[in-house]
Amino acid sequence: MNTVIEVNALAKNFGSKRALSDVNFKIEQGNTVALVGPNGAGKTTLFSIICGYLKPNSGTVNILGHDPRSAPLFNKLSALPQDAQLDPKFSVEKQLRFFAQLQGMDKKTALADTQRVLELVDLSQVAQSKTSELSHGMRKRVCIAQALLGSPEIVLLDEATAGLDPKNAKAIRNLIASLKGQITFILSSHDLSELERLCDTVLYLEQGKLSSHQSDLHQTQQGSYITLQMLNLNDEMSQKIAQLKGVTNVKQTQSDELVIEYTEYSEPLDLSLLTLIHKNQWTYKQIVNGRTLENQLFVD
Amino acid sequence: MNLNRTWLYSQFELTRLFATKRGWLAVTAFSLVWFMVLRYPIYNAVPFLNSSEFEGFVSQLAGTVGLYNLVSWPEAELAIFWVIALFTFPMFSVFVTADQTVEDRNRGTVRFLTLRSTRFELLLGRFFGQVLILAALIGLVCVATLAMMGMRELDLVSSGLPKTLAIWAKLLITCLPFIALMSLLNLVTNSARMSIVFAILFFTIIASVITYIGDVYPMFAFLNYVIPGHHIADVTGWQNNSNLSLLIPIIQAIALLGVSQFILRERDL
Repeated sequence: MNTVIEVNALAKNFGSKRALSDVNFKIEQGNTVALVGPNGAGKTTLFSIICGYLKPNSGTVNILGHDPRSAPLFNKLSALPQDAQLDPKFSVEKQLRFFAQLQGMDKKTALADTQRVLELVDLSQVAQSKTSELSHGMRKRVCIAQALLGSPEIVLLDEATAGLDPKNAKAIRNLIASLKGQITFILSSHDLSELERLCDTVLYLEQGKLSSHQSDLHQTQQGSYITLQMLNLNDEMSQKIAQLKGVTNVKQTQSDELVIEYTEYSEPLDLSLLTLIHKNQWTYKQIVNGRTLENQLFVD
Repeated sequence: MNLNRTWLYSQFELTRLFATKRGWLAVTAFSLVWFMVLRYPIYNAVPFLNSSEFEGFVSQLAGTVGLYNLVSWPEAELAIFWVIALFTFPMFSVFVTADQTVEDRNRGTVRFLTLRSTRFELLLGRFFGQVLILAALIGLVCVATLAMMGMRELDLVSSGLPKTLAIWAKLLITCLPFIALMSLLNLVTNSARMSIVFAILFFTIIASVITYIGDVYPMFAFLNYVIPGHHIADVTGWQNNSNLSLLIPIIQAIALLGVSQFILRERDL
């Protein structure tokens, strides 16, 4: 696999406040990367440095063999910057077509590509509207559309689904999922279940430091954990589950959630677990093979 | 630097004025103001300037303030227009070009643009876009003045045409450093309005201080060349040797754009 982004010893200060400190990671081509962290952890700062909006105090960023802001990246790296808006005085189509022309397309191709990306976000009908006439969610989707103009190799989406209604958030997740593999995505979001569904790699930033870099989000050892969500979870249930053969540890992570750790045994644990639930007439909400991203990041 | 992208920015600026309702309103207001200037001060001053009764007085007065060449023009409308425009268009350009990048920066639109072009292309493209807008507006008033003169005496149009072209070019060159100054101020302020305030402060306080220093300590008189419009006194009278002074605004504009480029390259977006 080719490394598309390599960050080494990156640091950024805002006055006396350290926003990023000694951040190192590599992102491989085709990965879908989740950038996670609490508010003020430095996620947007990291996005901004990769996009060339901010200069780091020290360290290096290499994108497809180039420094940020380099001309060879203009048609290859695109982004949805947080809180950035289009000009409210012009129509959506005019602005997107202009962006496409800046990317090197002629007028006709730029118009066709504008219509293509607006269809992707289901907004063809607002092409002639000014952005000031659109709702917050529509503006966000237009901004996502601009990031897909041309054929970008890397797309950074900062809080892409924040502020979108569930239907449109799902549509955007489906869009990203459909483009996975062709494009390297870096997504920042506070919705961990969303990131879990979309991403294969996680960068966890905390107080400007990269405290976790997992590139095997969905490749945990087969059968080592099961996450079980139960209705009316109680101690008796936990104890009975702990007595199943192969179970080495049962941890309650939420009021209705257990993380069951086990070793391989002749009878698959998921089958014996379902049998136990059925025999006791318990009601389960969800069984997840492995641990949720939330548990991986915050419970372990 | 990619010239195509720079040109795209300039073209987009033109559509801001000529393809939006707000732009056309501005053009209409501009045209009406100049219609009033042409109809009353200029139209009424022409007979006075051409009158044999006042010829001696006018020549004497014009000679005192260095405008002797101008009062000898048979194209009196152009002469009066030139003097009025030379002192009003530079300040007008400050207002017209007050928003080059600052509002886009505040809104975050610049972030979409700098993923597709260099910051210098954006700066230069927007600057040339504003130059094109000023060129169009100055051209509009020049043509109107020429037309008004033609209505008085049609024969003067042929001799007035080269003068009109020269006036258009000289006015545009004079405005260049003012536009470039607004490019610079857009990078150090947070709104178009603040850019205008800073420009006014510059032309009142800072320019006065520089002029004072130059007067008291002649060794610092060269600092006057920093002030956009410093050459205006040299070119007003249309003296034969004044064209060299037009290099000053061109150099000032290049210098201001150079400083702007340095600031834009280093600043966070």
